[in-house]
Amino acid sequence: MAMIEVENLTKKYRDRVAIDALNFSIGEGQIVGFLGPNGAGKSTTMKILTGFMPPTSGRAKIAGFDVFEHPIEAKRRIGYLPETPPLYPELTVRGYLSFVAELKGVPRPKVKSEIDRVATGTGLTAELERLTGTLSKGYRQRVGIAQAMLGSPALLILDEPTEGLDPRQRREVLELVKSLGGQHTVVLSTHILAEVKAICEQVLIINRGKIVADAPMAKLTGGRETGLEEAFIQLTAE
Amino acid sequence: MRTILAITKKELVSYLTTPWAWVVFTGMTGLTAIFFVQTLGRFLQVHEMVRSSQYGWSALPPEYQLYRNLTDGVVVNLWSTVLVVTLFIAPFLSMRLFAEERRNKTFELLMTAPVKPFEIVAGKYLGAVITMSLTLGLTIVFPIILSIFGRSESGSALEWSTVLLGYVGLLLWGATNMAIGMFISSLTESQLVAAFVSFSVALAWMVFGGFAHGAEEPLRSVLLYLTFDGQLQNLIKGVLDLRPFVFFGSVIALCLLLTHRSIEAQRWT
Repeated sequence: MAMIEVENLTKKYRDRVAIDALNFSIGEGQIVGFLGPNGAGKSTTMKILTGFMPPTSGRAKIAGFDVFEHPIEAKRRIGYLPETPPLYPELTVRGYLSFVAELKGVPRPKVKSEIDRVATGTGLTAELERLTGTLSKGYRQRVGIAQAMLGSPALLILDEPTEGLDPRQRREVLELVKSLGGQHTVVLSTHILAEVKAICEQVLIINRGKIVADAPMAKLTGGRETGLEEAFIQLTAE
Repeated sequence: MRTILAITKKELVSYLTTPWAWVVFTGMTGLTAIFFVQTLGRFLQVHEMVRSSQYGWSALPPEYQLYRNLTDGVVVNLWSTVLVVTLFIAPFLSMRLFAEERRNKTFELLMTAPVKPFEIVAGKYLGAVITMSLTLGLTIVFPIILSIFGRSESGSALEWSTVLLGYVGLLLWGATNMAIGMFISSLTESQLVAAFVSFSVALAWMVFGGFAHGAEEPLRSVLLYLTFDGQLQNLIKGVLDLRPFVFFGSVIALCLLLTHRSIEAQRWT
């Protein structure tokens, strides 16, 4: 069964069309790279999929649940990292994660072990008692990812998880995301093609609100080293 | 229910681990202390006048009669002043409720969690009301001081039933201010704007009483009914009156409903 099904999804901000009749579907357990130039409609699409924003028309389903007819059921299955990690600077990492676990309805006896599990997965075990407001950018991003992983949602939607990280942190986050494939379906938005090439099996490219490519990585690159860049530049040309 | 309490707990942690609530606590006790000393001074002055006059209380005009005991002469007066102090202080507590979530981008976290918008509103409001109650709770120290050091001919220095009913009136007023402030905070990303607008609304409600007194009947009665001090005067004086509960309860319910609508509506823009 498809994890995400999108039919004719359209979003208009007054007269400006942000996304225009998108149709795509993403299978279970895949790591999908969601690419596009800045302003192409990536964040808008993600905000609709996570139920933050309603579409102007069309529908989106998560694991068979319509995002707007059954928002709670759909949201239960999504872990979402927005562009800016949504942290409360006055809470400790542990306090923050336990708040999010409560919001997600993680059973109470399991909250502690869930926090330990995601903290181990994101390398935050040593930082659990620190205030999130004092963390470096790399660690904030990790807390954001850890928060998305709480409760093991079937689908992870990560909006530019490597933005603003140094090369070492970038690699660590990518390794982390890669390790999540299989147990989770991951949608990874970024404009850094090398990252996508390293970890994604499937690629979706969006340009000016329209899907211009929806293909497995191998097909898109044609087996060439620079294939993805060439395809991206060609498909997103004016 | 669990998510509501989780949000309430988070609100309380946020209030009490940042300096804001403590500044407000200090401000509240400081201002109330000043008014307390003033009211007490006035009380002593009146008693001095009575003592020096050969006719005693009967020589004084009727408005002085309330100074006969500490409850009416000090606490009731003090509570009327704390009502106004609350109006000034509440915006500082309520301004961050939603505005801060927007600025921190945590609003997206709340809205994409499997939580209904009304649970977010309820959880936040509960946290806000508890914080407001803590703030007002500090002022109970003044009647306690009176009951320890005060004396009266009838034995107990204070009529606690009067003091506590007035206090319930204060809490009701505090809860109303927080509901108004929360709604206004849900409209903006800027805490400063939220505080300023909440303050203006409360201030307008206060001056509005002045217009009421100058108006012609029947408008006058309608306007007087809508003033907050008019609604609260019975409770403050220690008379159990259920009408203010209905009145302020409606205002609170309306504000919570508007907040709910406002956070729902923002997703559509």
